[in-house]
Formats: sequence, C-alpha cells, structure tokens
Amino acid sequence: MVFEIIHTTRYKYENGASFCHNLATLKPKNGPGQELLEYNLNISPTPNEFSERVDFFGNTIARFSIQQYHEELEVTAKSKVYRNYEEQEEVSNLDKCKSVTVKQAKELLKGLDDEVLNAKQFLLKSPLISINSEEIEAYAKISFKSKRSLYEASFELMHRIFTDFDFVSGFTSIATPLDEVMKEKKGVCQDFAQIAIACLRSVGLSARYVSGYIETLPPEGKEKLIGTDASHAWFSVYIPTFGWVDFDPTNNQVPKNQHIVVAHGRDYLDVPPLKGVTYSSGKTNMEVSVDIRPAKEF
Amino acid sequence: MPTSTNKLFRNYFTDYRGYDEVFASDLGIDKNWDKLLNNLSEIGREKLISKQGEIDWLLSENGVTYNVYNDPKGLNRPWELNVVPFLIQKEEWKTIEKGIQQRSEVLNLLLKDIYGKRELIKKGIVPYEVIFAHRGFLRACDQIQYKTSKQLLIHSADLARGPDGRMWVVNDRAQVPSGMGYALENRFSISKMLPEIFEDINVEQSSAFFNDLNQLLLSSAPSNKENPTVVILTPGPHNETYFEHSYLSSFLGYPLVKGSDLVVRGGKLWMKSLKGLKQVDVIYRRVDDVFIDPLELREDSYLGVAGLMEVVRLQNVAIVNPIGSGILENPGLIPFLNAICKYFLNEDLLLPQIASWWCGQKKERTYVLKHLSSFVVKRIDKTHREHIYFCEFLNKKELKQLKIEILKTPYQFVAQEKINFSTAPNFVNGQLEPRKIVCRTFSVAKNEGYSVMPGGLVRVAAEREELLVSNQKGGTSKDFWVVSDKSQSKIQHYSWNQTSSNRFTGINDVPSDTAENLFWSGRYLGRTIVTARYLRMALNQMANVQFNHRKSESESLKIIFNSITNITSTFPGFTGENELEAMKNPLKEIESVILDETRYGSFAQTISSFNFAYYSRRNLWSRDMWRVFDGIQKLWENFKNEENYSIPVIVKFFDRIITRLIAFRALSEECILVKQGLLLYFIGLQMEEATMTIAKIRSLIIVNHNQELEYEILESLLSSHESLNIYRYSYKSYLSLENVINLILLDKEYAKSLSYQIRRIKKDIDQLPNNTSNEFTECQININKAFDKINSLTVAELKTVDLKSNMRLKLDESLEELSDLLHDASLSISNTYFNHAYKQTQLLNSIK
Repeated sequence: MVFEIIHTTRYKYENGASFCHNLATLKPKNGPGQELLEYNLNISPTPNEFSERVDFFGNTIARFSIQQYHEELEVTAKSKVYRNYEEQEEVSNLDKCKSVTVKQAKELLKGLDDEVLNAKQFLLKSPLISINSEEIEAYAKISFKSKRSLYEASFELMHRIFTDFDFVSGFTSIATPLDEVMKEKKGVCQDFAQIAIACLRSVGLSARYVSGYIETLPPEGKEKLIGTDASHAWFSVYIPTFGWVDFDPTNNQVPKNQHIVVAHGRDYLDVPPLKGVTYSSGKTNMEVSVDIRPAKEF
Repeated sequence: MPTSTNKLFRNYFTDYRGYDEVFASDLGIDKNWDKLLNNLSEIGREKLISKQGEIDWLLSENGVTYNVYNDPKGLNRPWELNVVPFLIQKEEWKTIEKGIQQRSEVLNLLLKDIYGKRELIKKGIVPYEVIFAHRGFLRACDQIQYKTSKQLLIHSADLARGPDGRMWVVNDRAQVPSGMGYALENRFSISKMLPEIFEDINVEQSSAFFNDLNQLLLSSAPSNKENPTVVILTPGPHNETYFEHSYLSSFLGYPLVKGSDLVVRGGKLWMKSLKGLKQVDVIYRRVDDVFIDPLELREDSYLGVAGLMEVVRLQNVAIVNPIGSGILENPGLIPFLNAICKYFLNEDLLLPQIASWWCGQKKERTYVLKHLSSFVVKRIDKTHREHIYFCEFLNKKELKQLKIEILKTPYQFVAQEKINFSTAPNFVNGQLEPRKIVCRTFSVAKNEGYSVMPGGLVRVAAEREELLVSNQKGGTSKDFWVVSDKSQSKIQHYSWNQTSSNRFTGINDVPSDTAENLFWSGRYLGRTIVTARYLRMALNQMANVQFNHRKSESESLKIIFNSITNITSTFPGFTGENELEAMKNPLKEIESVILDETRYGSFAQTISSFNFAYYSRRNLWSRDMWRVFDGIQKLWENFKNEENYSIPVIVKFFDRIITRLIAFRALSEECILVKQGLLLYFIGLQMEEATMTIAKIRSLIIVNHNQELEYEILESLLSSHESLNIYRYSYKSYLSLENVINLILLDKEYAKSLSYQIRRIKKDIDQLPNNTSNEFTECQININKAFDKINSLTVAELKTVDLKSNMRLKLDESLEELSDLLHDASLSISNTYFNHAYKQTQLLNSIK
C-alpha cells in the first residue's frame, strides 16, 4: 500500500509577524513495514534558513526561520509512504510476543543492554505525563496483573479506554492535565494515548507516544473529501525480548496498513508537528488540514 | 588569651555544644586564629561596633543588594557583611584546592559523558534514572560538540567543616554559579573600612583568579577571533543576584544584556544595537538552562533567545557554562561520585561528601524508609531549600506523606545524613557569637585544569541555631581569607591589559534595550525634577496665601492648583466636576498627587519609574551615582513613612530630594560616555523637560488675566522653572509677559528655554546612527520641523490676545504643534532604534 499524505498548517497573524523560528516534526519515519518514498516540505514565505537534524528520539526535525515581515505562514508536508504491516512480525499470533508476562517484563527491564536502556527512558515521568495519580494507577492495575501477558493486558487497556472514554474534540487542549481527562473521560486521540502511557508507566512499564496519520475511509458509496483527515496519535508498548508494539485506543485496533508513523516521543511535547516562536502583535489564527489517500500509480 | 578578646567571647558557649572553628575541645584557641583575634582585640569592641556600622552603611551606600523573592521590602535588600572574616591556613587550603580541582574535573568528565557516550550508564556505574529522571537532563543538548577543552567551565562547590575536622562538599552549582562578585565586593569593603584587621596577616588575593575568568571568557570564543564579543546575559533586575550581574559587567567590562537584546539569524547570534546587529561570540550567562531558548526548551521563557540552541550546535557561539550543565546539580549523583571518579581518574575523591542514599535502589530505600526521621530528604532535581525535608522536624502524618511520595517515584529522592557543621565567630550586638557557616568556592577552567579562587564567599546562618545557610532567607556573609606565610603584594591588580576592544566601541554598539532604558531614564529623571519643583512652588505659594489672605493670590492659587492636574496628568484632580471637591482641601489632593502610587502621573509613580529605570542599568553608573541614587531612594522611603504631611514638611522633603536629583543629573554627564548611550539619555531628558515646559506655559498663560494676577502667575512660573534670578539679571525689570515668553520660550542662549532645548535635542538626534537609506531619519525630520517652528515664532504674535475668547490663541496653537512634533520625534526614535514593537509569542499547537 502506498499513501500520499498532504499535511498543511496555516497561521494568519492579525497584525503581521516580523520574524519567526520554527521546528517541524513532519517527516514520516522509516521502519519495519514502512518506507518513506518521497518527502517534500513546502514553506511559504520561503524561509531564509532551513536545516534538518535527527533528534534524541531518532525523529527528523526541520528547523526554519523567516526573517522578513509576513502576515501568513503556510507549511505543507507532502509525503509518499509505502506501508505493509505484513513485513512486520505479526504480533497477535506470535507466542514470543504474547508469552511475556507483566512480571517478566518488569524484571527484564532491569537490564542494561542498549535496547532496554533506550526503552527505559519511556518508563519515567515526562513533561505532560506525571505518574503519581492514584486514579490512573488504579485504572491500570485492573488490566496489568503480574502473571498476565503484557501484550494481552495492553490490548485490554486499549479496549477499555476505547469503551470508557468519549471522543470529544475541543474539550481538551495540551494544557489540560491528565488527571482531568481521567476524571471526565473525554478527549481526543492524543489524550487517550497519553492516558494509556500514564497507565503503563504507573505500573512500571515502558510506553511511548506515537505521532502519525491514519487513513479514514468515507462512508460506503461516497467519495472521500479532501482534508477530512487529521494528524493522529497512539501509544506503543515495549515488550522485552520482542520489541515495541503499537496500540490505537481511539480506534480500538493494533495499527496496520492504515497507520503511518511520523515520530516517537515520551509525550506530545517531544513531537508536536509544528511549533515556533514568532515576533508579532495581535492574534494568531491557525488552520490545519490533512489529506491521506492511496497513491494513484500503485 | 587577652582579656579584651575574652570580653568579645563572653557568652560564646552559652547553650552551645558543637564544633567550632576557633575553639578546640579543650577551650584553647586554634593557633591559626591567633593573629586575627589579636587584631580584633587591638581594634577593640567599640571600634568593631562602629566599623560594622560603617560597613553596613558602605554596602548600602554602594548599593550592594541581594533581591529576595516575595520580600515585603521589595527589591534591593542590602547585602550584609560581617566585620569578622573567616580564615583558613594556606596549608589546609592547598588540600582543599586540590580537592576542588579534582571535583571540577570529575564533574566535567561526567557532563561530557552524560551528553555524549553515556558509558557510565551503560556500565552500570550511574543508574539511568539519576540522569533521565532529572529535569536538568536536556535532550536538546545531546551529542553537542564544543570547541573548549572542558565542558564544565565554571564550577562552585559549597563546603562546610564536618565533625572529623575536614571540609565536606554539601552542594555543587554548575549552571550559573553566583557569588564571586559578592566575594570580591566583600574583600574590597573590608580592606577599605578596616585595613588594620589585616595587620601582620598575609591574605591571598583573588586578582589572578579573575584574570583567569576573563581569559576563559575570551578563549571560549569558537571562532578564534582576536577580539571576540563577550556579553553577560542576565534575567533582569528582578533576579536575586542582579547586583552581581551588573557588578561583574562593570568589573569585567562586558555589556550586560537581556534575552530581548539578542537575536538569532543565519545560524549566528547577534546583539541588537543602535546601529544594527553585532555578532556575539561568547555569552557569560546568568540565566538558567531551561529558560535560555524558548524554541527548544521552556516555551514560556522570555529570558532567553529563540533559536540559540542551534547556534550552539553550529559552534557559532560559546555559552559559559554550556546549556545542560544543570544536570550536575543533582544530589542523586553523590552516592555514585566516588565510583565515577575512580572510573575516570582511577583515584578516590579527595573531598568527603555528605553520606547520601539514593532511594532508587531497593536496599537503600528500605534503609531510608526505616530510619526516615533521622534524614534530610531531597529530590534529585529540586535542591532549593523549600523542597528539602528535615525529617526530624516532621510530625507522624507528614512523615507518612513523605513515605508515600518516596514510594511513588523512589528514584527521585535522596536521603542525606544530618551533620552538625562547624561554627565560626560572628560579630553580633557587640559580641562574638558562634554561627554555622558555608563556604562557596569557585573554580574556572584553565588550560588542562581548573583555577580556584583563593577563598570565596562565606555565608552565615541567620540565627544561632539555624540549620540551613542561605541568602535567600537573609543570612549574612563574611570575607574569606586564605592566610599564607608568604607576604602578599598589597596592590591588587584587577585590571588587565585590555588592548582588545571588547568594551563598547561606540554609540553604534549600544544594545538597543540599553538605549531604550537610557532614553526612559532621562525622561523619568526630567519628569521627576520638573514635577518636584512645580509641586514645591505650589506649596510655597499656599504657605504665602495662608500667611497673607490676599484675594488675588488665592485666585492665582486656583490657577496653579488647576495646572498641577494638567502638568502631571493626574486627572480629574483640580479640574472638571472634581474641582469643587478638591479645592475644599487642596493639601489633601496635593498629598495624593505626591504619594498615591496607584495614581497615574503621581510623583510616587514617576519616582518609582525613575528608580526602576536606573536600577536596571546600574552597571553603567559610577559609584558616586549609586550613592546619590540610594540617597534619593532612602529619602523617599522615609518621606513615605512620615506621620504628618504639613506644608513645611513636604517642602523640606522636596528641597532635599531636588538637591539630590540635580546632583544625580550633573553626575550622569560625567559618569557615562556618549558612546555608551548617553546621547539617548540626554535626548530623553531634554525631551521631557521641553514637553513639561510646554505644558506649564499652556496651563498658566494662555488665558489673559488682569495685571495683578498675571504678575503672580508669571512669578510662579519662573519660580517653578528656577528662572527668577536669571530673569531679574537679564531684564532688571518688573515681570512682563513679553519678557517671560522671550526667556522661557525663545531665548537661544538660555539652557532652560524651549528654543535651546529643542536645538540641543536636534543636535543629539543628528549624532544617532542613520540606519535608513534616506538622507534623514524620521526622528530627524520631526525634530527639524520643531526646530524650524520655534525659530519662526515671534514674541509679538505669541502674546497677542484674541479678544473674543480672551485667550492667546496663537501661543496655544504654536505650543500644541510643538508638543505634537516632540511627541512624534519621541515615537520615531522608539520605532527606529528600540526593539519592542513586536513581542515574542508561541505559535499555537495543532492537535486533533
């Protein structure tokens, strides 16, 4: 499956901006089952400076700055991604994945080899995910019993979040504390991912935040509308001796061909698609549109 | 022990059992202190009391301050220095110095490893949580390469003497170690006030250390430039150690800048100056790690520079200390530091540390929880006193709560043994008293090693039995002597060969923020002086009227009251519907115009803006100016606490403060250079005075009055303008409107006339850099218009009265136009040279 993704963000400055520095985390990753075929970042007005680097988590971050007066900033990332989850190890059927229990996982996480060390940083609290909430811990403990398979417990957690939480956009912002999301049981994909991560970390397991896209299918018989998609987020659990396994609590599924991975982080704050510092006065207006569709030539 | 020393030591041991620097357990005197105690007793108790008083006075006169957050006294709490120094013999110091050098090097290698290969974690020497769970571990700093041979460039360690008689390390400061400026000032103050205390004692000087600091800053420049541009980055006047930032800026000769003075473009760092951008090579920073770049670190920071991290990565700027060094301020490292030292240097730590247990390990955690009440518990990344638990003082419930906290994230906690550190004599109320002390030492990277300041800063606990020593709570400090057998040169060489042009090279390089501040400093000074003089004139007139009860005078008083409101813009005041009410008790209204800080335009507000503007650029002013400045502040503080505001009391206050303000104004002309931005200061000052002159004339002589009344008003105008004598000298005649207009508005020679002021503003504006492609800048165009306008006016047309309205319409119209032109000139200066039109904002984040 090859997808074409067009992700556009447009800022309008009420009184113009004299200068800005920005960071964009928009370049899809390469990994098992996913290959980036083409990528193009279009910025208008043309930035005076542009550079890319790989960050601490292995994501590609673009940095650019516009140094003349502008009233609008438009950033468009166009990617072509080959996705075939069958090239990944099929998780649900694999004993190696399913057989690791919660208790074993915790024991194995004490190791010092590179992979485990890398995974362990996702076990600690992070800027948006503090892990001292008793409610979250209690919620997690229902699924994570020590003798249970870590995979199955995580799957159940995903399912429970999907059932217990309502998808309500506009109810939360990045400033909404996780405790409040937990209490109200409302939010968007990012909140659900972070609730799941908090649950896993509160019982001593490694979980990371995945930022990416999901293809949405139009109702049967209708043509898909441009720009109806959105950037998406889910979580990933580290199963020692096996590896990372993704779960999407918003859609209650283990991501397959419809999910495209852009970046990994401890939480949203490590991988916002676009952020920046602007020198401007007055209000800023933002619009985002994402469009994902199968590429025509394949 | 001589009897006089005995007297000083009376009560020294009351209620005290502990370890003291001076007294051995057999109550004999430690021989190292002999000479100092001898000198103290030679000086005598009475003189010590008076010298302590003089030191307090000197420090406060020199404006040495330490800001305490949330202190009701507000900014600028005086720094305290005890007359009795602390001393260590050279022999012992050599051991300590070696220990500090070793520790700086170990921390340096540790810092390199943390942001580099992380071998210590991979080899299991340091648990990963101690690094990864510490908020000071900044992922944005990972794998950054530096050109300096050391990564840790400045290091501070707090030392205290333990029960075994050795100096122990209690704390490390590695982000923005503070205190070396205070240490220097302490030495200067003691040498100045009490030279005899050094009699027969050889105290090591720190000049070589400061030379090393300066060399470090210059050699850190990544570009190997001959004359690198070094700046000192401060969070601003609200920071607790702002005094030190400006002190070091004057001392080292590098500009003091705020984040808003700097900008990142083209992968380089630039300072916004009057002429434009000037590249910065080295930042000596006093801003904490996370605040330094709102793009990559804390988004809500206004203290840093967006994009700075990338400039560091590109090796186009050096930051001293490098960003990310806050990870070393981490008590979680203490239990592992000896192993780290062995790993890197194959030797043990020379300086002992406080026994510490990191709760991330099961065995240690169990032990700590079992004996919790005997420990001092800290979080690994919150080492300030408000986050420290002294468990012996916690009740059962609090202990239980702490246990729960520890168990939730045990790796974030460290428990430390409680140690009774030594005390040293402190001079309090005419007696020596034992007080706990902490010594802060300073080391800077030099070649392959570290150069350590001989001595450092000694801080003293505020109370006799105080456990913690911290200036944030308001303790005092001591000069710290390293005493050697060899005699030291008495001359201190604190200035080094500054052949390089690191200093300001001209008006073009003045940071625009500094320029803006100077401009407003001038304006506020002008406004303060004019307002004070005007109010004093009004009060004197009131006193006269009370004395004479003449009708016409009370008529003129009404006009003056009215003008107070107009000139100070403290509306409604004596105008409009409020007029009747205010006139009933004019003194009350005037009192409010003077004292009400919440009232726009009040004297209180003006003087507070004046204070703040000067305080925030005090590095530019000389000590004489600081003294006068502090005198002004004290006078004002005392006046605010006055019980009865009678006319004579207020007039006396104005007399005194005006004298100081005038002295301040005169001093400023000789203290700072035109190339440091004095031009902007004068433009501000003249502009304010010119504007106020216009306001006075417009509110006093537009309306035509009968002769008697007119005479009184002209007299008031001249007196508030301090021009009565000049008038009498120049005209030798009865006061006439024509002559007054000539003198105050049109005279080309008289420094206080509007014409003269405008000419001077024009002259100064013409000297500002022209950054535009045009022949004239916008401010030049505006001031030229004002200049032409005032030159075109004639006294004949100005004094003409419109019969219908009984007003001097031409005068009013002309002054209005001039006032507008001055306002436009001021605005265009602001737009052309200052950088505040746009504010830094974060882009909205996109989430779905």
